[in-house]
Amino acid sequence: MLHSDIKSRPTYTQLEPDLSGSQHLLIVEGDTVLPGRLDSLAGTFAPVEENLHTWLVGTQAGGLGLGKVWRLPGVADVVDAFACATRGYGIGDRLYVQGTEPFLWSVAKAAAIIGFSAEQIHLHHAGSLRRRVWCTHCHTVTEDVTTSIASCAGCHRHLLVRDHFSRRLGAFMGVMVDAEAPGEVPAVEESFA
Amino acid sequence: MIGETLTLKVAAACAISPSLRHLRLVAADGSKLPPAAAGAHLQLVLNGAARTHRNAYSLISRPGARDAYEIIVRRVPASRGGSAFIHEQLKVGDVLEAGWPGNLFAPVRTARRHLMIAGGIGITPFLSYLADFAFGGADYALHLCCREDEQHVFDPWLAGKSSVSVHWDADGHRLDIPALLAAQPVGSHLYVCGPAAMNDEVLELAAAAGWPASHVHCEHFGSALSGGEAFRAFLAKSGVEVSVGEDESLLEAIERIGVKASCLCRGGACGVCVTPLLDGEADHRDHYLSAAEREAGRLILPCVSRARSGRLVLDL
Repeated sequence: MLHSDIKSRPTYTQLEPDLSGSQHLLIVEGDTVLPGRLDSLAGTFAPVEENLHTWLVGTQAGGLGLGKVWRLPGVADVVDAFACATRGYGIGDRLYVQGTEPFLWSVAKAAAIIGFSAEQIHLHHAGSLRRRVWCTHCHTVTEDVTTSIASCAGCHRHLLVRDHFSRRLGAFMGVMVDAEAPGEVPAVEESFA
Repeated sequence: MIGETLTLKVAAACAISPSLRHLRLVAADGSKLPPAAAGAHLQLVLNGAARTHRNAYSLISRPGARDAYEIIVRRVPASRGGSAFIHEQLKVGDVLEAGWPGNLFAPVRTARRHLMIAGGIGITPFLSYLADFAFGGADYALHLCCREDEQHVFDPWLAGKSSVSVHWDADGHRLDIPALLAAQPVGSHLYVCGPAAMNDEVLELAAAAGWPASHVHCEHFGSALSGGEAFRAFLAKSGVEVSVGEDESLLEAIERIGVKASCLCRGGACGVCVTPLLDGEADHRDHYLSAAEREAGRLILPCVSRARSGRLVLDL
């Protein structure tokens, strides 16, 4: 499901601490934590707990503390926290992110802007497969797309959602599906629930 | 000045310490030289008494300068002839052949901060970095580790530069490398150039401190790597066999008998001289081939690598 012939489609791994890191920051999208899974994450990150900060994002993020815990209402607050970071992050630090793809890439991009290298960032996909879609025609980004064909929030064209992924935008490419035969839209499937 | 090689004239030469000689080289025909960026090196053809040497030296001239190339050459005690030739025979007015400048050690433009660690004469590439950063306002720090009596040798190039620290082997003056590496902010890039043992130590410490590999850059001194036991090499395409002496590299031996071989850095870093190895076991000393390529044993970098067994057969 998360694999594609299109090479730009990212692949994700399970999270585990990179023991060569100095400080570890784990950011979890609360909605994507299955019951009991936070316990298991706590176990996984136990070896680095002394140098671990956890940011739990969203309303569902209850339960356990992993290292020093900070609760944030939404992904916009994570982005702000990076943008306004007064504490300097170190070149040996590691960032681990769990969540849906739009969440992962919003966080990864905010971290990259303040200097994090791709090698310092570990992403684990969890929860919904919903996609952020970038319209190749009007360049509008449509959020929370779960269907194989979606209406563009900007120009309302019917967009075929491709696996072609942009790390810069954190979005999949959407191209007009009925450009050659207007109105002929194939059956819409719920592909990214 | 267009051609495969450059013809340079020694415009000035002076000793800046008992073992360091500074050279200023201009185009022999008075024209402008090709510009080079920070971190670039120049390969000089040195016609010594015994044989020809081709040695690469970092350019310390201001990046982009077209009037002259400047280098500093250390007289190596166990010199294979190149540095001895420059120190003992080369004089103002002499003409030298050189390759076009190459660059395998350019600063990373996206870096938030540049951290440079130099060992002795390994400071040379960083002198051009400093000249470059002075224009761009980049955040940087240079740490020079050298002998106590050489701490002021490079002052003419360091004058007015902030964030330069000099360290030597005495209590209170040694560089605490682990502490330095641990204190660097996200987005930093590390550059190290010095003797092999120092390079290896810094690279190891950086990995241990969690530095991403893509943020760590190293330039090795090539000449120290290429000597060893004598061996023979057969060049299959040319149909000739050559014996490689203890103090010459395989590449130098190939050049000596007049077979043309591509090369750029002559230090095992760039991979331009990579040659198919048809038979024999290589002693790989380069920094270019992957572990898998070394294991496969089908390629060799003749600028630094030698034979483990008695004879190599090259597809050259």
